[in-house]
Amino acid sequence: MTASARVLDDIRHARRPMRLVGASGQLGYGVPTPAFEAALARAPDMIGADMGSIDIGPTYLGKGEMATAPAATRRDLRKLLLGARMRDIPLVIGSAGSAGARPHLETTLAIVRDIARVEGLHFRLGVLRADMPRPMLHDALAAGRIRAFDGMPDLTGEEIDASAQIVGQMGTGPFRRALAEGVDVLIAGRSCDTSIFAALPSLLGFPMGIVMHMAKIIECASLCCVPGGRDCILATLDDAGFELESMNPARRATPVSVAAHSLYEQSDPFGLTEPDGSLDLAAARYEALDDRRTRVTGAAWRPSADPTIKLEGARKIGERAILLAGAADPRFIAHHRQILPAAAAVVRDLVCEDQPEDYTLTFRVYGVDGVRMAPPASEAPPGEVFVLGEVIAPSAERAAEVMRTTKQYLLHHGYPGRLSTAGNLAFPFTPPEVSTGPAFRFNVYHLLHLPDADSPFPLEIETL
Amino acid sequence: MQLQHLAQVIRSKNAGPRRLTLDVMLASDADYQRVVQSPALSPARIAALYRVPEADVAVIPYPLGRAIKITLARPLMAGDPGDRDVYGAQQHAPLLGIEL
Repeated sequence: MTASARVLDDIRHARRPMRLVGASGQLGYGVPTPAFEAALARAPDMIGADMGSIDIGPTYLGKGEMATAPAATRRDLRKLLLGARMRDIPLVIGSAGSAGARPHLETTLAIVRDIARVEGLHFRLGVLRADMPRPMLHDALAAGRIRAFDGMPDLTGEEIDASAQIVGQMGTGPFRRALAEGVDVLIAGRSCDTSIFAALPSLLGFPMGIVMHMAKIIECASLCCVPGGRDCILATLDDAGFELESMNPARRATPVSVAAHSLYEQSDPFGLTEPDGSLDLAAARYEALDDRRTRVTGAAWRPSADPTIKLEGARKIGERAILLAGAADPRFIAHHRQILPAAAAVVRDLVCEDQPEDYTLTFRVYGVDGVRMAPPASEAPPGEVFVLGEVIAPSAERAAEVMRTTKQYLLHHGYPGRLSTAGNLAFPFTPPEVSTGPAFRFNVYHLLHLPDADSPFPLEIETL
Repeated sequence: MQLQHLAQVIRSKNAGPRRLTLDVMLASDADYQRVVQSPALSPARIAALYRVPEADVAVIPYPLGRAIKITLARPLMAGDPGDRDVYGAQQHAPLLGIEL
């Protein structure tokens, strides 16, 4: 019997509260062992971990690479696999490999299979894929079933074809199907964070509002505590609410800290839209059980008659090269808004003598406006600045050519009032130009309307 | 008094790649009431501070968390060429010096 079938059977035969462990909100950045072991000692019914996010930007998705280091990712996966198999409980992982497209999922699965081989583990592995078939997307686009939101331009067929990867965030349905089918370990591509933890209790009929609210909180491990952190959290779920307790005794889940977690990375603290409904937190209540445990009740679930899947896609826009340099000359700093474009114009005339102007060159001047999106108009000039140059060009060679030429001409650019005629820039090391590889941008961030929001996410079963 | 001397948390982050969300959290109900009732955090003032249209700003009081949430449209989508803060984690700085 598989772990998911056993847990479902147990609780169906003798109804009792469920215990769920949120092991990590970013698997691959470390799962502290003492809290993980404390969680296992509480005889949990499942372990879940989120492995990805869109926050990391478009390049990981487009390039098909994980954001986390392979050795650290393997250490975390090994810890969770050994713990879940020792207790014979389901391990559920969502958004595999940081961005959850095919290459990320394959890299994650290769690590899982190798750990199983080395550790002599045998289990039934469920795999859920999140890659969106292009013909399906073209059909949906033609039928008016792909909608822009948050000010994104409308999707075009050209953008679909030009995407390196397009994934959809899967809801709880595909996870429910896999867990009902019977698996020991479930690894999914791009997923809603909530799906990881909501699927198993929803199969057991726990109220969906409470289940989704719990899932949304524990997918971030102990981030909802004071002090917040990455230690495992334990949720104990019943038919009226759930209790939260960090598995690190130093972290306290208080009514205010747990309520405040609804703010985190969300535009609306009172609600959350998911593929097949929305979570309404207007009547949520948070009560202290003691100084480090909080009980949560009151969330409501509003099923949607028009399910939607959030699509995420990334498109390659060229190859990137950067320049790292500093400056401390007050005249250079005072005149940089004229100097930088003037040097760029000199470079353009040189590198475009026999080639089109096929690149973009931008500068960020740290100390002035390198970070803030809207710096105030008047501030005292800084004593030093850091100048980050960036070129995006059709090839790595072209990007390097433009960046190297820019370095030289910016170093020696003459400007009115200049005293430092031997050079305008300080290089921390040489070469100061770095080729950083392909550059991507998000070109798909749209909602796909589908009558059955579970249908694009196939389940595969593998026995290890 | 400046907001940074009253608040317990002032932070920013993306809420999806096209929005920024800023949270101001207070330590007590009295502090929360003082901030939530101040005109300094009105959508018009926030829009001027971040130089975005007022229609792109939402200010949401959240008494259960003793917090005020501000949501803005990002001038550039996260990770687009020219973006300065892919995670949006350093865009809270203009809030620090708000006079209440």
